[in-house]
Amino acid sequence: MRAYILRRLLLVPLIVVLVSIITFSLVRILPGDAAVARLGAQAGSCEQCLEAARKELGLDKSYPEQYWNWFKNAIRGDFGLSTATTREIGPELKERSLVTLQLGLITIVFTILIGVPIGVISAVKAGRPTDYGLRFFSILGLSVPNFWIATLIVYLPAYYWQWNPAKKFTTISEDPLSHFSLLLLPALVLAISASAYVARITRSAMLESLASDHVRTARAKGLAERVVVFEHVFRNSLIPLLSVVGLQFGLILGGSIIIEDIFGIPGMGQMAGRAVFDRDYQTVQAVAVVISTTFVLITLLVDVAYAWVDPRIRY
Amino acid sequence: MAAHTEILDVVAPRLVPSFLSRRARGIRRFIRRQPLGTAAIVVIVVLVFAALFAPLLNTTDPKEFGEDILAEPGSAHWFGTNRNGQDMWSRVVYGARPSLAVGLATVTFSVIGGAVLALLAGYAGGWIDIAISRLFEVVNSIPAILFGLVIGVAMGQGLWPVVIAVTVAFTPAIGRILRGSVLAERNRQYVEAAQVIGASGPRVMFRHVLPNILPLMIVIASTTLPAAILTEAALSYLGVGLPVGDPSWGQDLGGSARSLFTLAPWLAIFPGLALSLTVLAFNLLGDALRDELDPRLRGSGIRG
Repeated sequence: MRAYILRRLLLVPLIVVLVSIITFSLVRILPGDAAVARLGAQAGSCEQCLEAARKELGLDKSYPEQYWNWFKNAIRGDFGLSTATTREIGPELKERSLVTLQLGLITIVFTILIGVPIGVISAVKAGRPTDYGLRFFSILGLSVPNFWIATLIVYLPAYYWQWNPAKKFTTISEDPLSHFSLLLLPALVLAISASAYVARITRSAMLESLASDHVRTARAKGLAERVVVFEHVFRNSLIPLLSVVGLQFGLILGGSIIIEDIFGIPGMGQMAGRAVFDRDYQTVQAVAVVISTTFVLITLLVDVAYAWVDPRIRY
Repeated sequence: MAAHTEILDVVAPRLVPSFLSRRARGIRRFIRRQPLGTAAIVVIVVLVFAALFAPLLNTTDPKEFGEDILAEPGSAHWFGTNRNGQDMWSRVVYGARPSLAVGLATVTFSVIGGAVLALLAGYAGGWIDIAISRLFEVVNSIPAILFGLVIGVAMGQGLWPVVIAVTVAFTPAIGRILRGSVLAERNRQYVEAAQVIGASGPRVMFRHVLPNILPLMIVIASTTLPAAILTEAALSYLGVGLPVGDPSWGQDLGGSARSLFTLAPWLAIFPGLALSLTVLAFNLLGDALRDELDPRLRGSGIRG
């Protein structure tokens, strides 16, 4: 167990370094010159300014050198200056990542609260109309694009009642209540497809465990069906659920790029989306590495929890 | 020559009907057991038909600017017009083309790519397996949309950048599942038997293991297709992908559809419905196919 956790922990930095190398190379092939972007209108006229800007941004060095300089600072949380706004990326990213993390956690709570009961009911009523209805509902949830739902949620009330649910964002210190209430709708939208997926996995895990010998024994010794379902079946189905919830977190982080923008939530996703279009090299790279690192750490936690919950699992 | 036709005359009448009736029985069974899957196939056939014969379906040139700006849906423009006076019905019908094309292309490439990598990793083992598995893990930890966004912007506009971006983002997840399956097949007796009679590594992989993971590949392809269509739409929505102005559901949902919603809600409603219906149909078909094909679920009483 300990050896397994240690082995997984050692892999984390390797993956993070590889991800940063990949994003570093991808970002370098983005068209457009960061030095030109920095200077703006005067770039065309002044060759020396361009040279100076390149030097200042470290663009005159070789790629491996640029990468090494970036890496040295990044592990201390210093992601350099934004190529577009020349502001420091680190502090802004820290603030925004906390917002996205809150959004993600609320989404996960919704996902479990919605997805698990649907899956359990569906499995208990397997083959009956309730089951078919819930399964169709889940597939519908997986099919409707969340950015479309988000658009409808934000703009339909505006169309009918001139009321816009996307309000001005308030930070947690300003007004905690309105801060969290603003995160509820986007979290619910992000939870639609995630909970649909969780419902499907819960259903098949429950069915598998309903068909197993220990459940037959439990029924044979006369336990109430409620006890069988919750004590014997449901607890066993939790194990596969764990890994699914971890995987969904990655999808939620990706989905936040669009959803945060529609709802006006100042998180990492919004930052990533804008940075790509502004050709903001440094910011894209920083956000990509932070998002991927978050995801890798969550997968690690899930895997460790997995091995801890189910002692049969040994990698 | 004469003898040849004589044989056919004798055999064919008996062969063909039995073959056909077996097919028909299979189809009838599928319809009976998978009513939703059957409905999904009907929807998909209609969609493919619309994509192929778009010019014949009361459409005008979807890129043509018109006089009627932001016209409401009506008899002249079934789905209304946008701020350029472009007919939304035509744009929705033509919009099926990039969605289906990108979806099919990415699924084909990522399932084949995933299978080749999985066979290589699962069969060769050792450091090749470790390298490929780590590569899967690394690419998997970058969200597909972020990855697609960067690749899309880097490569410029067009269908290919989107296809490449979505393929690269999807291949690792597919490869990972297939690798597990290859590892399980590896220990089966038929692999040992093939090795004993002196079959080479590639031969064992492609002639013996591959056919055995094929049903799983089909199931994965059918469940990946709707996800690929959604990812393509999300990227187009963000403005990466097809050149601005080309009909595309995702692109028509972003930008002005949002800013003009209170004036012209039909701009967002019809492309969104078309996209949702398409993805729903492919999801339902994928589910039905998995019920019928996934050998791990067959006969276990578990139905998707």
